[in-house]
Amino acid sequence: MSNKSSRRDFLRRSVAIAAGAFVIPEIIPSSVLGMGGGIAPSDRVVLGAIGTGSQGMANMRDFLRLKNAVRFVAVCDVDSDRLNRAKEVVDKANSSQDCRTYSDFREFLEKEKPDAVSIALPDHWHGIIYTAAVNKKLNVYGEKPICRTINDGQTIVAAVKKNNIIWQTGSWQRSQAHFHRGAELAINGRAGKISKIVVGLPDGGRTIGTPPAKEVPPELNWEMWLGPAPKVPYRGVSHWDWRWILDYSGGQLTDWAGHHIDIANWGAGLEYTGPVEISGKGVYPPEGIYNAPVEYDFMCRYANGIEMRVANASRLEHGMGTTWYGDLGWIHTDRGNVLTASKPEILQEVIGENETHLYKSENHWQNFVDSVKSGSQAIAPIEPAYRAISVALLGEMAMTTGETIKWDPEKEEIIGNPRAARLLSRPYRKPWTLPTV
Amino acid sequence: MKKQYILIILAAIMMASVISCTQTGGNKVLIITGQGDHDWQTSSDAVKQILDETGLFSSKILLTPSKGEDMSGFKPNFSKFKLVVIDYEGDAWPEATDAALMDYLNNGGGVVLYNAKSDPGISVSEKVTTTERHSYEIRTRATDHPVTRGLPGRWLHPDDVIVQGLKPSVDDVKVLATAYSDSTKGGSGKPEPVMVAMNSGQGRIFATMIGLPGGEENQALHCAGSIVTLQRGAEWAATGAVTQEVPSDFPTAAAAVLRPDFKAITTEDAFRMIADYDIQKSTRYYTYLKDQLSKAAGDEQKLLSLEQQMVKVLKNDAATAESKKLMLRELSWMGSGNCIQAIKDLVAVEGLKDEAEFALERLGQ
Repeated sequence: MSNKSSRRDFLRRSVAIAAGAFVIPEIIPSSVLGMGGGIAPSDRVVLGAIGTGSQGMANMRDFLRLKNAVRFVAVCDVDSDRLNRAKEVVDKANSSQDCRTYSDFREFLEKEKPDAVSIALPDHWHGIIYTAAVNKKLNVYGEKPICRTINDGQTIVAAVKKNNIIWQTGSWQRSQAHFHRGAELAINGRAGKISKIVVGLPDGGRTIGTPPAKEVPPELNWEMWLGPAPKVPYRGVSHWDWRWILDYSGGQLTDWAGHHIDIANWGAGLEYTGPVEISGKGVYPPEGIYNAPVEYDFMCRYANGIEMRVANASRLEHGMGTTWYGDLGWIHTDRGNVLTASKPEILQEVIGENETHLYKSENHWQNFVDSVKSGSQAIAPIEPAYRAISVALLGEMAMTTGETIKWDPEKEEIIGNPRAARLLSRPYRKPWTLPTV
Repeated sequence: MKKQYILIILAAIMMASVISCTQTGGNKVLIITGQGDHDWQTSSDAVKQILDETGLFSSKILLTPSKGEDMSGFKPNFSKFKLVVIDYEGDAWPEATDAALMDYLNNGGGVVLYNAKSDPGISVSEKVTTTERHSYEIRTRATDHPVTRGLPGRWLHPDDVIVQGLKPSVDDVKVLATAYSDSTKGGSGKPEPVMVAMNSGQGRIFATMIGLPGGEENQALHCAGSIVTLQRGAEWAATGAVTQEVPSDFPTAAAAVLRPDFKAITTEDAFRMIADYDIQKSTRYYTYLKDQLSKAAGDEQKLLSLEQQMVKVLKNDAATAESKKLMLRELSWMGSGNCIQAIKDLVAVEGLKDEAEFALERLGQ
């Protein structure tokens, strides 16, 4: 392993010198390695990280925990404190001082050529940066929800397909045994023919009112943090708490859609389609800067007759998690190793050889690394991620307009409602635009 | 007197024979007060304002004789009223008065028991105590009852007591909402009902245990949650149905909401306040507008009417730039051809160019 790394480092330095200071390729052309393509199985996958806040660092640590699997070489963040902390972690892991730092993703994408990039940003940045990274043919480990709008999502999906890269969504519940087991029991009809799914996501949080505008701390590039979102004064609300503000996120609903709605779709064979009719209501905080719904409850009807209710957990019998209901009973799964059923026998069922076997992964980050090396699809590819967040975004539209939204999941269009159709995208603040694919 | 009194009412409900006596006309309300542990002068006056504010009721307050005085002449004519609100804890009423109230209920009358904490209509035997005043979360339990349908599932209520030790004495008492009674505040350490409904025969009783006057600035009484649930409970008790919408300022789990003057936001108020919008002052009028847009549920006329008001804000030279940005944001998805010119006029305005262009882009201009 170490020999290979040394050789790669040597090659990389040689190529870098040859190519000049602005391009630092990390992928060694397979011809150089004398292989058929991809990365040599024994090599470490070379990674960059864009977004080194709490989730970005959690992902970095999960990657670094894998034995000799990855090597981070560059990090990017608009907060220099966070950027420097990320560099420290990387340098320590690499026993070097070489981790390169960027405050602008455009420069990162221009100069860096890693095998893959791990991206964890506020949702309002996903459309631009995911598409830009994929357009550079980088393999991506991308945080959910993969988009703030359906239009962003469609663009990212198209970019991934066109560039034929490996995509792994941070929907890591798929790589946990009990979620996999629950979904596999459901999809093989162990609760009977599925007619209803109930998805419980967290209730909303408390308000902070509207804090006064204040000076932007020197470590934060506020203009770049806002990016395509509306220009507003800094009020001390940025990292983490962006998720309670509709300009950046849809609250708990969109934050968690990539987990439990994703699992619901996986276990019901809905991960490559969407609902045809969506209606429901949200409860919004009357006062304060946090304006994402604190409660939500909407119903989605699918073309095959399945109804999916998505609501904040305190409204639901089973609370958090996914429950599939069929004519033989129900199966419920949630975090904390929760897997229960209406009858204990359901959980003892064996899935036969000729039945549906869902993709199995025991470690979400290892699965991505393995997929990048092998060139085969990861457990959480782009389209299911887009379909999962679409459910939440269509629910958001139904709550905003108060109307029953009709959606064509094949054409991916709103039917007969120009007002709702305008909500498929959000205008970007100049000079930002969604990259073309 | 109250314990026996409620026993009698409950007995009456259970025995209620089906005698119908349809009342027509406005919803006249009799609020009975005059004795009690809490500041009943304040609460009864507030209840009158709160009920009359809906436009559904016309209330009058009737004072009982004071404590210890001769009660024999206390014989209100209940049948003249669509609803009787009892904000009273004190000396027993004459038997004939209790009997008249029973007849009134039997014949389809409505009763609201307002914060009669020592005997709120569902307890006949338990020792009833209260916690100290504190802010707490209320859980809406009955999502299928007219009074609580559509309310947030969880909402914060400020600076009130929780009454505990209540035990439903009849099976058809419907617990509408509960609050967890914190043992560190002198509570029972379990959920306690804070709002109940009884629906039996022709009579309906709505009992609320929240909104007790007192405490800091009467916050519990001014809580939008206390106010709205009282209004809804009163309508249900009076008519059996609730036509009032859940307002946009109903509190949530995120925060309590107060109405200093008990009044709901009107569209007129909202647009007046929106023109003066500054996020630092308040966001509730903008929340109101967004709620109205959602409640319009695609109704073209309602949307056009709101759009007209929104365009007025765009054209109002005195309106803040921030208010215009908000209008542009909403018009960008729900606007019709009617707003286009007003938006175009703002493209030239410093500080609004981007927002105006965004709106035009979204509107396909």
